[in-house]
Amino acid sequence: MLVAVLVLIPVVVTCIQALEGGVSAAVDALRASSSLGLLKNSLLVTVISVPICGLLGVTGAWFVERTRLPFRRLWAVLLVAPLTVPPFVTSYAWANLGNPFQGLYGAAGIIGFTYFPIVFLLVAVALRGLDPALEETAQSLGLGTTRIFFRVILPQLRPALLGGLLLVALDALVEFDAFVALRFRTFSSDIYAQYQLGFSASGAAALSFFSIVICIVLLFGEAWLRGNRNYTRVSQGARRATTRYPLGRTTLPVLAVLGALVAVGVGIPVVTLIKWFTTSTHAGLHTASANLHYLFPASLTSVGLGVAAALLALVCALPVAVLAVRYQGPVVTTLERSVYLAFALPDLVAGIALAYAASHYASFLYGSFFLLVFAEAILFLPFALVALRATLGQIERSLEDSARSLGAGPLAALWRVTVPLARPGFLAAAVLVFAFTLGDLSTAQVLLPLNLYTLGTEFQANSSSVAFAAAAPFAAVLIGLAMITAYVLMSRFGEVRALAES
Amino acid sequence: MADLKCSRLAKSYGNRAVLTDIDLDVPEGTLTAILGASGSGKTTLLRLVIGFIAADAGMISVGGTVVADAGRVQVPPDKRAIGYVAQEGALFPHLTVAGNVAFGLPRNERRGAARVAETLDLVGLPRDYAERRPHQLSGGEQRRVALARALAPRPRLVLLDEPFSGLDAALRAETREAVLNALAGEGTTAVLVTHDQSEALSMGREVAVLRDGRLVQTASPAVLYRDPVDLEVAHFVGDAVVLAGTVRSGDVECALGTLATRIAVADGDVRVMIRPEQIRFAPGADAEVLDHSYRGPDTIVHLALRNDERTPVELRTFDQEVPGRGELVGLTVVGPVTVYPA
Repeated sequence: MLVAVLVLIPVVVTCIQALEGGVSAAVDALRASSSLGLLKNSLLVTVISVPICGLLGVTGAWFVERTRLPFRRLWAVLLVAPLTVPPFVTSYAWANLGNPFQGLYGAAGIIGFTYFPIVFLLVAVALRGLDPALEETAQSLGLGTTRIFFRVILPQLRPALLGGLLLVALDALVEFDAFVALRFRTFSSDIYAQYQLGFSASGAAALSFFSIVICIVLLFGEAWLRGNRNYTRVSQGARRATTRYPLGRTTLPVLAVLGALVAVGVGIPVVTLIKWFTTSTHAGLHTASANLHYLFPASLTSVGLGVAAALLALVCALPVAVLAVRYQGPVVTTLERSVYLAFALPDLVAGIALAYAASHYASFLYGSFFLLVFAEAILFLPFALVALRATLGQIERSLEDSARSLGAGPLAALWRVTVPLARPGFLAAAVLVFAFTLGDLSTAQVLLPLNLYTLGTEFQANSSSVAFAAAAPFAAVLIGLAMITAYVLMSRFGEVRALAES
Repeated sequence: MADLKCSRLAKSYGNRAVLTDIDLDVPEGTLTAILGASGSGKTTLLRLVIGFIAADAGMISVGGTVVADAGRVQVPPDKRAIGYVAQEGALFPHLTVAGNVAFGLPRNERRGAARVAETLDLVGLPRDYAERRPHQLSGGEQRRVALARALAPRPRLVLLDEPFSGLDAALRAETREAVLNALAGEGTTAVLVTHDQSEALSMGREVAVLRDGRLVQTASPAVLYRDPVDLEVAHFVGDAVVLAGTVRSGDVECALGTLATRIAVADGDVRVMIRPEQIRFAPGADAEVLDHSYRGPDTIVHLALRNDERTPVELRTFDQEVPGRGELVGLTVVGPVTVYPA
């Protein structure tokens, strides 16, 4: 409950701010900013990028999890890597490709290729949880592989797929960092402009009021689409390991498609980065080397921030995830859903709202490092929640019951049984929050204490100059950290399966 | 060790009553089997006693201490000191056998291997199993570890939820033996829940039959088998031949002759329940052999009575030579029979 209240702080503050100047002022702000056109842009990006993410994510997950793909482990890491590359780095890389990529298609493409790993991760977990007996039964009833996929597997993937698409849609609606280098204006970039023009908090808040409404609509839409069908396994007994389909002659084309996916998602930023280094002018290189002594402190701040935010997000997500898995009911569902609401705020607006709240009600927090950690933690809480739910859901309830009967209290049972078993989920959740915090730009810009700088803010500060080489070292460290993150995420992720099968 | 007393327990989910008016006494140091078909409320009853769920009405006490009294007392499961062996064992996959067994011990005892070794001995597992992982054990071994884990903290009472389900016949008998020995070794009071009548009859000092959320009969296995409270229970605990009959001056007349009743009943029309092994071959031509099912040590012979062809009659024999299909045989009934109002 406390978690929900904390998460809702920025949402509530934003609503208050929006209505502070009266309803008419809010309406004026909307008119003045030609928001309707921008709203259309935001919605268009969402509508285009969500199906892309769905298609890429499900395809990737299917081939990695259910076929005899060579180097499966490696592909799993590579397919998650785009998510951990900071969106603003991707943004500059795509903008560099040329004019066609600076508009709507570029924007939708960035979202699609940056966020498809969310769908990939969730669907992969769901694929592992499927009972092979269902597919075998379908086969014995005369269905071929393709029809089995559409009539047996896809329906079972529905909750995971919808959950993933919801996250992508919410992200796409309020994305700002990813469009930072494009000539493409959305709702969020307008909010950003309002903010830069004169810290018009109420104007920005009025605009984000819209996005909160859209978010609520999406949350209901997803709940409605998901329905209250039960997808848990009904048959008893030990489950056999899933079979993998041989790819045969299709191996090479599949490898080519997956390779292309990775090339677009990770290759473009990396290649652009190398280009920046090699083609930069002498002056650019000079700035770059001059910047080098900022590199270490910036990395330290970024990593510290990421770790702190990840830990805080875990602490907040655990009770909600346990409740969501163990006690289903309207109250718990509302609680769980409310966590997504903060996600509906553009990062920047959430940052402003928190700064506002802190300066008014908790001035000792204003401008402190902790406030930023708190902001990042609640912004990326939905990811932590999703990862934790996936693993907690696989832990049989009878294990906790046994612990209770052996004299362990509820907290002891959680600590001694649930937490050790859910360790892969904890790690995955922490790594996701870490990666997103690392890749966050706008919240940090608002809430970062004046004497500190992160890799992101330094990248941004230097990329505004003509010489990209100056920004390149920061981007290089960010991408390096992203790759390590992706690797850790996927190597831990493998344990989820090992545990489920033992 | 302590006795378990349940009185007037009731539990319903929404409008559906799962348990109604449950009265159960398990004397100290004995095992009571609760026998019920699936959906009869067995598992709900167990979960009430352990404290995973709260009763709507009624009281539960262990060793004279009230652990649940609807609306007033609800001791949490971890404070009840009741051991629990879940279906399929539910061993913690992240711990070794030793880690599992020591789980419920106080912190200072967890380090020492003494109690772990002692309980492994008790359930008949080699001590060097302590370092194995649950997935390295067979199904029967997993159940034994689950029992050792429940017994290690010396609980006042142990509850076993279908502890032998999913084991093959030989392993089942062996594991059953090991469980009985371990319980006897510790002198633990125990409640076993099962849908398998032979398991309930062979393991329980007493057997309580649960039907549609009510305990319809609680009795020793022999009484339950020979003198079930009604025909439904009679069919549930074993095979039964039921014939129409009339009681006259204490004995009952039916298609198999005039038979002695177990309990004196008033004259009138009744239904007669005879166990198939009470019926034996005799000289004569009372019935025609229809078919047999060979079951190894014994054989079930299906018969049609010549004076009552519509009622199916089964005979259980340990003879290796059995009359062939179509042959006429004479029949006699050994021992008293049980009668029910028609």
